[in-house]
Amino acid sequence: MKDHAWFPIAYMFLITAIPTALLIGLAHYTQPRVDANAQIAFEKAVIMATLPATDPTLRGLALHKLFVERINTQTNAAAGAYRLMDGDAVKAYAIPFAGKGFWDAIKGVIAVAPDRTTVVGFYVYEQSETPGLGAEISQPWFRAQFQNKTLAAGDLPITFRRRGEPLGPHDVETVTGGTQTSVRLERLVNQACDQWRAAMPSGATP
Amino acid sequence: MSPPAKKLTYTNVTLEAIWYNNPIFRQILGICSTLAVTNLVLNTIVMCVALIVVTGLTSLTVSSLRNLTPRNIRMMVETLIMAFYVIIVDIALRAYWPEMSSNLGPFVGLIITNCILMGRSEAFAIVNRPLISMVDGVASGIGYSMVLLVIATAREIFGMGTFLGVPVPFFSGPYWDRWVIMVMPPGAFFMLAVAIWIFRSISTDTEEKSS
Repeated sequence: MKDHAWFPIAYMFLITAIPTALLIGLAHYTQPRVDANAQIAFEKAVIMATLPATDPTLRGLALHKLFVERINTQTNAAAGAYRLMDGDAVKAYAIPFAGKGFWDAIKGVIAVAPDRTTVVGFYVYEQSETPGLGAEISQPWFRAQFQNKTLAAGDLPITFRRRGEPLGPHDVETVTGGTQTSVRLERLVNQACDQWRAAMPSGATP
Repeated sequence: MSPPAKKLTYTNVTLEAIWYNNPIFRQILGICSTLAVTNLVLNTIVMCVALIVVTGLTSLTVSSLRNLTPRNIRMMVETLIMAFYVIIVDIALRAYWPEMSSNLGPFVGLIITNCILMGRSEAFAIVNRPLISMVDGVASGIGYSMVLLVIATAREIFGMGTFLGVPVPFFSGPYWDRWVIMVMPPGAFFMLAVAIWIFRSISTDTEEKSS
């Protein structure tokens, strides 16, 4: 049988078909989990930005429960922002941002208090920047800087400053050695804040 | 030149793959991933485990099919088998350890192109029995991991002052200026060169004796 001309073709066909079928089955079986992981990562970012004191190791169902309890996901009423609720009162707006970083996409959330100026928190939940340099944007020291900063009027609400420069109320320190990451992240955060402020109906908080 | 053929015992095959014929510092195979994933020790460990599993299973499968596989299409078959196991690892990481999956990014998928896999399949598994082929595959993976972990440890400590994310005394302190180049791609080249130099210096004696 091995000497026939058709044998290699049939063999290759079989050896391709069997593993492929297995892989499709496996991918199909794990797809709900993969989707849930992506959703949980985003929910964690919203929670950590709006409630920065939350235990950072919170994950899985406990996290999802907290998200469902506290977050209003009707983003249309708040110009695309998720709202942290306490009963009927809005406690914070979580504004998602996403765009291209140095290596790959950066996705995160910045949360602003109902006064629309004070920053409550900041969290990056997806990035592939250089470990030790650009990737520091996910570290606790970096995101803690945003707390209690205020968004400046005009089109540069938050300014990233180099280490050593004096920091004003609208400024945060950039990551050292991650210039491209910083420039792009600054642009993403500011664009998201600008767009949200422009689109948000003025007057009473919705 | 390789030393005269030794008897194919499990011990010989293991020692050969881990030390005398180490994939990284003897054969210089699979160094692409050595350069890419060695800036954090944890990422490196996961990468090494993934590679050991994949080389072991690939060698086992290639060897099991060796009498059936037509010679002229054997490399296509080998690549396909590797891809199959790599994708399983990739799917498993994505579903059950999403943080690690995003840390490693595309590099898990790139195990398919890791030269060690094709190297061991062609040089060993295609002509030997399944069980000893699997031992050879696993041992090659361990030989690779050994060098990778040395490089990763040095890069993380010199570059970031941490080991497995835990600050290391002195290196995380104010007297150590972190070597930024260590966490950048060029740092991997320097460390790889130094590692190959050191390992080869240690093993030259044994090589000269055996020839």
